[in-house]
Amino acid sequence: MMRVVVVGFGPVGARFVEGMLPAVARGDASLTVLGAEEHDAYNRVLIAEYAVGRADRDRLDLVDTAALRAADVDVRRGEAAVAIDRSRRVVRTSSGERIRYDRLVLATGSRANVPTISGMESARRERLVRAQSPESLDRGAAPLPRGVAVLRDLADAERMAATVRAGGRIVVLGAGVLGLEVAFAAREQGAEVVVVHHGDVPMARNLDLAGGRMLSRAARAVGVEVAPHSRAESLLMRTDPLDGQPRFDALVCADGKQIPGDLLLLSVGVAPRIELAAAADLAVSTGILVDADLRSWTDPSVYAIGDCAHVADRGSVGADGRVPGAPSGLIGPGWRQADALAERFSGSGTDAVTPAERPSVVMLKAEGVDVVSGGDVSADPWDDDPHTDGCDHVRQVTQWADPARGTYVKMVTRSGVLEGFVAIGMPRTGAELTLLFERGSELPADRAALLRLDGDDAGAPSTADAFAPDATVCWCNGVTVARISAAAAAGAETVECIGEETRAGTGCGGCKGRVAELLARTAAG
Amino acid sequence: VTDAVAQSGATHCPYCALQCAMTLTPTATGAEVAGRDFPTNRGGLCKKGWTSAELLRRNDRVTAPLRRGPEGFAEVSWTEALDEIAERLRATRAARGADAVAVFGGGGLTNEKAYQLGKFARIALGTSRIDYNGRFCMSSAAAAGNRAFGIDRGLPFPVEDLDEARTILLLGSNVAATMPPFIGHLVTARADGGLIVVDPRRSATARLTEDGAGIHVQPAPGTDLIVILGLIHVVLAEGLADLDYITARTTGFDAVRRSANAWWPERVQETTGVPASQLRAVARRLAAGRGTFVLTGRGVEQHVDGTDTATAAINLALLLGLPGTPNSGYGTLTGQGNGQGGREHGQKCDQLPGYRKITDPDARAYVAGVWGVDADEIPGPGVPAVELLSMLGREVEALLVHGANVVVSAPDAAAVRRGLDALSLLVVCDFFLSETAELADFVLPVTQWAEEEGTMTSLEGRVLRRRRTVPAPGEARSELWIVRELARRLGAPGSWPVDAAEVFDELARASAGGLADYSGLSHALLDTGVAAHWPYPSGSTGTPRLFTERFAHPDGRALMVAVTPHPRDPGSQRGGQLTLVTGRLLEHYQSGVQTRRVGELVEARPEVTVQLHPATATSLRISMDDMVELRNERGTVRARAEVTTAIRHDTVFVPFHFAGDGCANLLTEAIVDPISAMPEFKRTLVTVARVDDTAPGPAVPVLA
Repeated sequence: MMRVVVVGFGPVGARFVEGMLPAVARGDASLTVLGAEEHDAYNRVLIAEYAVGRADRDRLDLVDTAALRAADVDVRRGEAAVAIDRSRRVVRTSSGERIRYDRLVLATGSRANVPTISGMESARRERLVRAQSPESLDRGAAPLPRGVAVLRDLADAERMAATVRAGGRIVVLGAGVLGLEVAFAAREQGAEVVVVHHGDVPMARNLDLAGGRMLSRAARAVGVEVAPHSRAESLLMRTDPLDGQPRFDALVCADGKQIPGDLLLLSVGVAPRIELAAAADLAVSTGILVDADLRSWTDPSVYAIGDCAHVADRGSVGADGRVPGAPSGLIGPGWRQADALAERFSGSGTDAVTPAERPSVVMLKAEGVDVVSGGDVSADPWDDDPHTDGCDHVRQVTQWADPARGTYVKMVTRSGVLEGFVAIGMPRTGAELTLLFERGSELPADRAALLRLDGDDAGAPSTADAFAPDATVCWCNGVTVARISAAAAAGAETVECIGEETRAGTGCGGCKGRVAELLARTAAG
Repeated sequence: VTDAVAQSGATHCPYCALQCAMTLTPTATGAEVAGRDFPTNRGGLCKKGWTSAELLRRNDRVTAPLRRGPEGFAEVSWTEALDEIAERLRATRAARGADAVAVFGGGGLTNEKAYQLGKFARIALGTSRIDYNGRFCMSSAAAAGNRAFGIDRGLPFPVEDLDEARTILLLGSNVAATMPPFIGHLVTARADGGLIVVDPRRSATARLTEDGAGIHVQPAPGTDLIVILGLIHVVLAEGLADLDYITARTTGFDAVRRSANAWWPERVQETTGVPASQLRAVARRLAAGRGTFVLTGRGVEQHVDGTDTATAAINLALLLGLPGTPNSGYGTLTGQGNGQGGREHGQKCDQLPGYRKITDPDARAYVAGVWGVDADEIPGPGVPAVELLSMLGREVEALLVHGANVVVSAPDAAAVRRGLDALSLLVVCDFFLSETAELADFVLPVTQWAEEEGTMTSLEGRVLRRRRTVPAPGEARSELWIVRELARRLGAPGSWPVDAAEVFDELARASAGGLADYSGLSHALLDTGVAAHWPYPSGSTGTPRLFTERFAHPDGRALMVAVTPHPRDPGSQRGGQLTLVTGRLLEHYQSGVQTRRVGELVEARPEVTVQLHPATATSLRISMDDMVELRNERGTVRARAEVTTAIRHDTVFVPFHFAGDGCANLLTEAIVDPISAMPEFKRTLVTVARVDDTAPGPAVPVLA
């Protein structure tokens, strides 16, 4: 029996555990999973909605620990891995226990970054310091100042929910997709929100300039303030009248501007939790380095999946010592990795092929604001393509912008296949482009066909004129306007006569009104 | 065939499961059709129904038994045909065992024929190998219904219940083309803006949502399960679920809740092409109350994950508290004329009459008693249709086909043809020389709808009388007679009446105590016009509405089963690669053997067409009416291009009613749902090109 130990009981670790259940049931594998949090694995993707009070805790549930235990999985919650002894193949846990493994799967995830802002230096965490207890997993030397929070786990979400309930003002630092989602959701729930970021436009990692501008406009339209070009520098604190303790009062920017609020939410990205791997002398870069099979560069018994896994070809270290790529930070790729690894561990000797890493699609979860993008969208329609090697493979950029209606699309293709895209304010088009991008399928040569999916005429009758000769009047019997007109001309003057002559109206009867209308027009004409 | 022929007959349409009521009046050359008032069709008929009497006037009927000889078919006497068939069946059985003989039935056969055929296979042939074309039709919904409710009746309520509903969700059903008079029951929902149609095509039914009548959701083919999981997610997320109902009437909620949590709308959008905002709008509308129905059709069921998809649709309905609640419900729209009855009385490989399980010792003992045999003489479960067809020429040497045209209707039709060619004996009962009959060693002429007595069970589980109005031509006989004659020659135990009323009485006895209990019914009672919805146990007045008090599981609750999608990576679609979906046209029925013989229908739809999007057509240099070739590793189909915005740019649609090189099933693959054994009919990768485009260069003129 293969002993598998999983470190991390987040959504990706849990998904891997579920994928392993058949192998456990067959007696091929034993499974131990360590989770630092006391809770069942929950869906972090929806944490913003939970934090603003729009989702119940129930909605975050992904697995049933009781069911996993009933299936013979050793689930340990509130227990962190503190060291890996690779020579003995043992994981030491915060409770002092040593667990032997044949295969170790690291699904340690990532933690929220704390920026360098004067007044909270000591809250930042040293990147390679190992935690000795579950509680200290993400903590710096000091806690975050009061009124300052990140949004990563349930405890964070519960703190934020209090501010939203009180109708307070929230300062979101950072305009990545998570920051914006929180901002939009909190605004919808009635909070005042300002998004502070240092660049030109929000979601700059995912959007081009025009797309970012469209998004800024959309944000302001729903009442989310946006403060671009704002480099956060320090905190202004005030004394809380209730307990006399200092708490957050305003964010001070490099240009001297002060942005007041009741809560400062830090949303400046995440960093993979790699300290455990690093201390065990496993190769790390941005994340834990694994090859396409998700196996550690260093140790063939160790694997990594999800936010902590940095997938790169073995030895692809640049001259500067850096390894290209980084964990995507998205759930979709993490789940795909979990599925692939579970399948490989359960396979009958044959190694399942890990799906090739694809550039990820990023979609803003906000009601009424449709933003989706994927791949590289930096190219412009009039750019020269440096990679021209025959007319077939020329890069093409197609762009549509209608700021007045809040719609924007860019499609960057090569050989008709998307390299990148943005769609804002165009849900159907965005959804189709997502599919085309995910599948690597060829776009219709007439790109405008995709834009029309969101046009006012989408879904309109193919014969615009309901009385055009080839328009169908009676669906049950497939009778057209022309056929009825001919019958009328030949003397069928009533709906009943038309029915006898053409069978129009003799099925469900739903078209009798239109037949009558048609007869009236014929008579009038 | 000396029974008196009625002068005028109140009967039902020969085609689909709506079973529209009609009156047939014999004329000098055949009969005349008139609509008859009835709750389902209210006197209306569609184009197929109005023209159905033309089938009675055709001069290309098979009117005598045909035997294949060196010169092709030659007419032989019944005695000669039956003697030789019986002899060869006996010889096959002696040489290879009883399971070397197989039977393939149909969902168009009357209840009496379906019952007698199942019995014939089990105790006259002694074979376990019987299955039927309903496997291609209702098997996924049936499996899902049985799992969730403990019973499978397509609509567990009368069709008229839909009349008052404000919201109707049609998942993969094109009723406007397949059973047009049905759309009369959608009027209230449409007037209220509540018709929601999920279909990758803007079908005739999807178009009924236009002008504010509802919502058309247009997902990529094969992604329906994820769309439904997304709807469930929103229902749960927004507190739209009926928690009291869930607590009181269901089990399994927690697992369903957890599994749906992973499918938030934006993730669904990524996989299906359905905008998150549209998903939310649909979920909210479904929960808006005032009467909501969820109905599934073949569009979502004819997939390798069809059972799970139907299960998800049922979960959605249960979460909303619909099944068994007045003015609300879940149902599946049965397709074939007797698709319901045909799946209840023993044509299915794992089933005995009354929807009993062939593996259940009590059921075997009971049915054996009715048949007058030992329970041990009834074989065990056989294999489902696709597997059965894959055995032809190998494990199966002789095949009897009744009411099916497998060489057109089964997936991977070319492989089926090779299998049929490899048989030592193929006997086909049909009234026309179908494409399958053309390959037979013997073709036995049978009666068609207006020439026979019997019963059909409609999509709402109502047992209806089919009545004989005109005489059968030539030597055509009912299957009941053929089965009796063969049983006699094979020395079978049991009784083999040829009178349909008598067979029905035996069927009723055999079904007593089963899920589909007909024991309180007889032809005489049905002739009074009683609305007979099963279960109709002796002494009852039937069951128009199931589930009002309890579901059919022992604990009385509905079971929610959490399902997990396993999306097959569809791969990149480039260079003319598109996803083929197959389906139906208004003018044709099933494999087209009947409707391709009706002048008015052929005139409207003379040949196979392929729908493709204008943008796709431009890329492939295809124009309206061009001949187009669709090709994959299994075959090649030629069809005429119909360029229309009613289809997604990545999808083509080909109807499956045509034969020869227009047979859509030359392209479909014989892979099946692991639970129901339903084949994958609606997600096949094909490469599309104009026929004269022999050397496809860069299809797209590039300006750069």
